[in-house]
Amino acid sequence: MLDQATIICRCEEISYEEVAEVIRYGARTFDDVKRLTRCGMGPCQAKICMSLVAQVIHAETGRALPEIPLPRMRMPLSPIKLETLATNRTSFSAVKSVLDEVEPEEGMR
Amino acid sequence: MAMETDVLIIGAGPAGLAAAFELASRGLEVTLVDESAAAGGQLVQQTQLIRSLPAPFQPMRGFALAEALTKRLAALPVRYLLGHRMIGLYRDGSVGVADEANVFPLKARKIVVATGAAENAVPFPKWTLPGIITIGAAQTLINRDFVRPGKHAVIVGSSDFAVDVALQLADVGVNIKAVVERQSALLARDAEKVAQLKQSGIPTYVNAAVKEARGKGEVAEIDIQLSERVITEHVDLVCLDGGRSPVLEACYQLGCSFGYQQELGGWLPQYNKRLQTDREDVFLAGNAAGISTQGVVLATGMIAGVSVCEALRVIGGEEAERLRSALWKELEVLETTLFPEVWQARLRHMDNFGNPLLKEQFIS
Repeated sequence: MLDQATIICRCEEISYEEVAEVIRYGARTFDDVKRLTRCGMGPCQAKICMSLVAQVIHAETGRALPEIPLPRMRMPLSPIKLETLATNRTSFSAVKSVLDEVEPEEGMR
Repeated sequence: MAMETDVLIIGAGPAGLAAAFELASRGLEVTLVDESAAAGGQLVQQTQLIRSLPAPFQPMRGFALAEALTKRLAALPVRYLLGHRMIGLYRDGSVGVADEANVFPLKARKIVVATGAAENAVPFPKWTLPGIITIGAAQTLINRDFVRPGKHAVIVGSSDFAVDVALQLADVGVNIKAVVERQSALLARDAEKVAQLKQSGIPTYVNAAVKEARGKGEVAEIDIQLSERVITEHVDLVCLDGGRSPVLEACYQLGCSFGYQQELGGWLPQYNKRLQTDREDVFLAGNAAGISTQGVVLATGMIAGVSVCEALRVIGGEEAERLRSALWKELEVLETTLFPEVWQARLRHMDNFGNPLLKEQFIS
């Protein structure tokens, strides 16, 4: 059972009410909700709230679950220390999914 | 200076280990990556007897099955990268693997994704209070860490898994005050298990849901809405069983397409009869290919293993087809015994191979 104050995203403490509000503004996907509320931007990286947000979108709009797309799942796939990334010799910036979204700088290969 | 391997298996649970045996026993060099410190996945803390397993496995307890699966790999060309995770993908197709100290590329001819399942949350007011955990976490605490997570508990949900763990919690002295199920009947399909629960004297409530939890800094009370009235239980532990869903991140990065089948846990990667995704070098195994029972998880690992052997020309097409069709028959029997609707969903999902709901997620 949910009420307006029920937490949907534990990491960022986003409530049902806050998710429902941005749905009223026109949010229709997890990523829409994320960009407007920080829902899914905590340490667990949406692993817990992804399906809960889909349930709220379904409840508020009547959209079927298969029509609510998955969020974009970016690198790194699980939390990693910056130190681990920074001290490695392998250029981490040569990663496909990052290149997909940003122009590589000169000399990054 | 990338590490190289014939086949990279992401996840060293039952599916990954079953796939590894098919591959390594035919001479292929296998690398298993798993975030845990030990192989075996969730089997490691499963003390319940697992009855329906594919040949050659006799009924045994989960932890014994984990031992059996790892033992038969001992003399084979299998490398374990335990305490490692896949964190991404390099441009040349190498998988980025990290431990606490390093990130390095791993180049494989074929990849088997056996990342398993994650438990779903059950939200209600104050569900984030300490003392409210998933049913899987409760099992890990008692059977792996030998820690009793509470003295008085309510179990929310009634799948076979939830009933198993409820009985195991009772065995170690936790007072189970109620099993609460939202549906009109208990969900557990194993009749013997349901009978055991009934005999144990644990109250079960159907058509019931948690109204709210209360407590200062930790859970102390929980209100359960029954059809006619609300009851309050004083507890220091609440175990939530929201079902499980396939873990998708690895397949998402690898660019696989996705479909949706409620009975298989929701979103899952598309695959064909070979357990091959639409990225032809990427195969699937276990709960990552749809939530099912341990026996089915093993069978999918074996099918994926056989298919990768065929793709790498270690066995011929005819032999692969023969082995695969025998394994599919066995899988069908294992799955339809208790969960015929899951088998039907699996067939529908494979029929949809060419019509995914989500594809080419990296072409913006």
